[in-house]
Amino acid sequence: MNSLERIKAAISFAPADRTPAVPQLFGHAAALAGVALKDYLRDGGLLARCQIEARERYGHDIVFAFMDLCVETEAAGSILQYRENQYPDVASYVLAPDSDVSALAVPDPATAGRMPELLRAAGILRSELGDTVLVAGCVAGPMTLATQLLGIEAALYLAADDPARFERILDFSAAVAIRYGIAQIEAGAHLPIVFDPAASPAVVPPQFFRELLLPRLQRVFSAFRQAGALANWLNIAGPTGTILPYYPEAGVDIANFDYYVEPQRARELLPDTCLDGNMKSLIFVEASPDEVAAAASRLVSEFAGRGGFLLSSGCEIPPEAKPENIAAMLAACRGA
Amino acid sequence: MIAMTNPEMNKLVEVLLEGDHAAALAEARRLRAMGIEPERIVTEGLEAAMQRLDDKCTVESFNLLEIMLVGRAVSAVVNELYPEGVPPERGRDTFVIATLEGDVHDLGKNIAKMVLIGKGYRVVDLGKDCPVETLVNAAEREHAHAVLVSGLITPVIPQVRKVRPALAERGLGGIRVVAGGAALKQSSAEALNVDYVAETAFDGALYLDQLVRGAA
Repeated sequence: MNSLERIKAAISFAPADRTPAVPQLFGHAAALAGVALKDYLRDGGLLARCQIEARERYGHDIVFAFMDLCVETEAAGSILQYRENQYPDVASYVLAPDSDVSALAVPDPATAGRMPELLRAAGILRSELGDTVLVAGCVAGPMTLATQLLGIEAALYLAADDPARFERILDFSAAVAIRYGIAQIEAGAHLPIVFDPAASPAVVPPQFFRELLLPRLQRVFSAFRQAGALANWLNIAGPTGTILPYYPEAGVDIANFDYYVEPQRARELLPDTCLDGNMKSLIFVEASPDEVAAAASRLVSEFAGRGGFLLSSGCEIPPEAKPENIAAMLAACRGA
Repeated sequence: MIAMTNPEMNKLVEVLLEGDHAAALAEARRLRAMGIEPERIVTEGLEAAMQRLDDKCTVESFNLLEIMLVGRAVSAVVNELYPEGVPPERGRDTFVIATLEGDVHDLGKNIAKMVLIGKGYRVVDLGKDCPVETLVNAAEREHAHAVLVSGLITPVIPQVRKVRPALAERGLGGIRVVAGGAALKQSSAEALNVDYVAETAFDGALYLDQLVRGAA
């Protein structure tokens, strides 16, 4: 069974030779290769090479055509500040609270900002790995992009002060996600993961998610399915217990859950949905390989009778994580 | 625990909890026009509202949107009552807060600051990407009761570990160090070399309340 077949089996709750491992390794692939993060994040060829090397080293079941959650806002006109070995942040937001979002054009992934480089990475990964390993693209979810267009504080105040204007920004953000995600599928990604950390109940209450974000996520996932995505994958970190029940309605096939949500609770909330999670990101930096292996083994055992599970961290594994800890996670997954 | 609210303050507490900053400002002005001292508006209005919010905000129902709206309303009232800033003698105690060098995400810090101001504390905000030395200097200058550090990303952890030794080197070893934020709260006080790791802004404020009362 190859990695892609293993993941497909998990999505459909079919038997597999082992639990698939999909650690969220993004910038860590650059650190492992001794490449500066700021270069990795701007060069699709370099990103693809680092992802392939990381995968060869650890033997996990996925590679990520993912840069950071600032790609879309930069493509729309925000100015970023890059640093040597940190993810960029927005120095100047393209929208002000009183801006008219209709003046913004949905970025063309073929030409806007770093999007073409990301598409190049997806293409290289798919042509190198074919259908042996899952090639995941990544887009910012509507809420996250809205906060990246305005700044999170301005976005949240606008959501309260002028909901109609804020909803127009959410619609624009959903349109960006759809166009960019479909371009990733066309470039070779098996699916684009929707990362929407700002949709977390740590940021907005569940009612906000249900009324404002769910309809946009439905639109995004429906478009991805029509474009041929292998599955729809939603990644929201934090205490998502109150919003997980809405995921099937959104069209989600794979639901990420973070360490805040106990595995048993995630299983009860989403009995028919493939889950991925929920190791603490920080243990890959601070704990010993034995502790990581024990945490991974507990999760694998927990889901052994159910299937429908991808072993992962609940959030990104930090770039400075210890390689021996990631290796320990994989070893536990293989039952070594 | 449900805080008792002075009936005169009911309306203020209500609009603060709704996050309606315009109505909160109008209500604070009305109370001032009735001759009620700023001190009372803070202790019986703002602090009562923050206590109610604290009771409501468990880890599962703590969300930035609601906290920020209440925080904005509280700030509007504080700015109205003390246009020159909260005087040191008015604040019950002073805390110095920062996001340390290497981390430019300051939302968590801003939330903690809002909660503490709402509770009547004086908070000196050193912003983001702040060197440890600047934090120590401010703690000394401001006679801080505690220093608070917030971190969203893990690379800032080595900076956090330096705070306590840097304070001790300056003879300020008695000043408590509290950490919070998405990255730091996954760790432990021992691993971070701090006195307390706060799960939320309210959890941190509760620790500081106890500290001020001599119970922590």
